Amino acid sequence: MSMMGELNYFLGLQIKQLQNGTFLNQSKYCRDVLKKFEMDSCKETSTPIATSCYLDADEHGTAVDQTKFRGLIGSLLYLTASRPDITFVVCMCARFQENPKESHFNAAKRILKYLKGTTNVGLWYPNEATLNLKGYSDSDFAGCKLDRKSTSGTCYLLGVSLILWNSKKQACVALSTAETEYIAAGNCYAQIC
Amino acid sequence: MKQQLSDFGLKVTKVPLFCDNTSAINLTKNLVHHSQTKHIEIRHHFIREQVSNSICEIKFIESEKELADFFTKPLAKDRFNYLRTELRILDYPNVA
Repeated sequence: MSMMGELNYFLGLQIKQLQNGTFLNQSKYCRDVLKKFEMDSCKETSTPIATSCYLDADEHGTAVDQTKFRGLIGSLLYLTASRPDITFVVCMCARFQENPKESHFNAAKRILKYLKGTTNVGLWYPNEATLNLKGYSDSDFAGCKLDRKSTSGTCYLLGVSLILWNSKKQACVALSTAETEYIAAGNCYAQIC
Repeated sequence: MKQQLSDFGLKVTKVPLFCDNTSAINLTKNLVHHSQTKHIEIRHHFIREQVSNSICEIKFIESEKELADFFTKPLAKDRFNYLRTELRILDYPNVA
């Protein structure tokens, strides 16, 4: 193995090693995605999804090109490697890949609009001595309106920085908020063992 | 992940896990058998075993400080920005 100097670009991931910490982002990849889906001149939004956004199967909606939708979701999924802020929304849109409609495509386009305003955002790992691991788990009871399954979200912080996160629709239907939180905590802890 | 961290020379013993639901925390400490909880599948009781072996520690946290909220529901602008900063997801110029 040869020494090729400091790591700064790897599989689309840009790594900047600064004096007070390390910064990870995918701004170049993000710009490429925006260009690929012709959204490089769109308006910007401050959040990737509207709070009132309600995605369902939308059986009567106009169908959109499945290949294009899948391509968009795939590109965004790769971007989640350094962008935990879009993880939840991308995963939500990805559930409708089988039969994408106009409403789903609009939700996915809103993510691109959000990305337009936050291209340079990434993960920051400051040089801090305290390296204690903390886990957080949460869930949204009956978050999916189609089958009333809940969504669990977990994240792990080492010191102050995020090192592991996930957002997943639970496999079973929970009957109470306590149950969903209990399942989420179990899933969260399973990651660490 | 514990294994990976120990490879880096970081010893992880009791990991605190923050949860914003007291009933769920009580379930991990003491399994009360009643109609609301008896149907929970056995594999989900994994966490309970870890707590009783004191490998894991579940703590309560207020919903406002719950960082995992970010991965479960659509959030409003202020809350979204607050959590994003808390998780150190920053814009490049703000870092340097």
